Amino acid sequence: MGLIKNIRDAVKKEVKDYIFQMVEVEKDNEKKSEQQVPENVKNIEVKVEQPAPKVEEKPVVKEEMPEPEKKEEVAEVREKPRKKEIYPIANNLEFVRFTYKKNQEFITVPKELSELIKMLPLEEYACFMKLYCFAADQKKNYGYWGGTLKRKIGLDALSTAEFEELGNNLAAYGLLLLEQLTENQKTFVLYVPFDEDTMNKLSTAKPAPRQPEKPAPKKAVNPAPKAAKAKPEPKEEAETQHEEDIPGKPVEGMENDEMYKSYKTFVSLEIDKAKMRVGRANFDKIYMEAVKYIDKKYGFKVLSDSDKFKEYLTNYYISAFDIPTFENWKKSKG
Amino acid sequence: MLNDIKILMKSLSDIDVRIMLCKSAFEWELLAKKYNALRDEIETFCASGMPEDVKEALEKTRASLVEKKGELPPLDLSDFFK
Repeated sequence: MGLIKNIRDAVKKEVKDYIFQMVEVEKDNEKKSEQQVPENVKNIEVKVEQPAPKVEEKPVVKEEMPEPEKKEEVAEVREKPRKKEIYPIANNLEFVRFTYKKNQEFITVPKELSELIKMLPLEEYACFMKLYCFAADQKKNYGYWGGTLKRKIGLDALSTAEFEELGNNLAAYGLLLLEQLTENQKTFVLYVPFDEDTMNKLSTAKPAPRQPEKPAPKKAVNPAPKAAKAKPEPKEEAETQHEEDIPGKPVEGMENDEMYKSYKTFVSLEIDKAKMRVGRANFDKIYMEAVKYIDKKYGFKVLSDSDKFKEYLTNYYISAFDIPTFENWKKSKG
Repeated sequence: MLNDIKILMKSLSDIDVRIMLCKSAFEWELLAKKYNALRDEIETFCASGMPEDVKEALEKTRASLVEKKGELPPLDLSDFFK
């Protein structure tokens, strides 16, 4: 028994040495140039011959050899690039900007939405659900897209590029609408089926037309949500509302209205509060962004016209600091 | 014609220099007005087609003006709300 045990140990040791040698030789082969490769092969052949003579080795070698292969397979799986082309899982969804009428005690996902999002990959699914919970928490399904949002929804661990990619993927799947306001500012609208009982509709965001190169897949679900279908609204009205929501869009008319004057005072106070809240340095940065945005969006003539610029700047602040619009403020006043 | 466009371009580079020295919103507004007037003048002058380098120079000055406006202290809106 002792002899057999010794032989077994010796065989095991030799096989281990053999495998280590093989791995080292393979590593060397990769490093050396093509001219040196034949020499290495000879070395391998010589080394292979050395532990070969004993018959008992064979089954042991067969058992041990698959390990490096398995490792290679795993490496291959990990190295596979992510699928670049994304097909929308739903078409013609109506992106409604809304606010919840009251705080949500329970965060519920409508069945039609759950049917859609279950097709998302894990990361996109998680991001969507985080945004969904965030929307319920902040009582609206839209806002600015960026680092602050990333932090608020608990995705700090992701880099900015990864977060951007997630957003772009969700947009490509057709469940998120991203709009580039300026070079550094983006807004998002999360797709949530509109429910008249619990939500106030603000506007309808218009998704950018999809590229014809990416046809919808056969399996794609194509249901516009029932709630959205049941209450179709004239497109013109929706577009007008959307226009009103764009930061920097001036509120025209109503200058003589007493309510409007009170509203202006309210806005002035809110801007002052925001200035205190964000600090001088950040406020300066926001101002710089506003200047760039107004120039890009409305042209230099507006920027150089003092009165117009003040008006557009005010509206930019209203949007940037989440100050209620005149309509919403009026409603809240009753 | 060459001399005329040279004069206009000289005026544009004058504005560029003044933008660098600009320190107040009032000065900026004057420069913006000058720029707008000069731009109109150049556009009228080059009605048949603006040379690429002139177009680039105009855009560069415009970008400098925008940048400068962003760098100046934020506009006081208190009058606007009265």
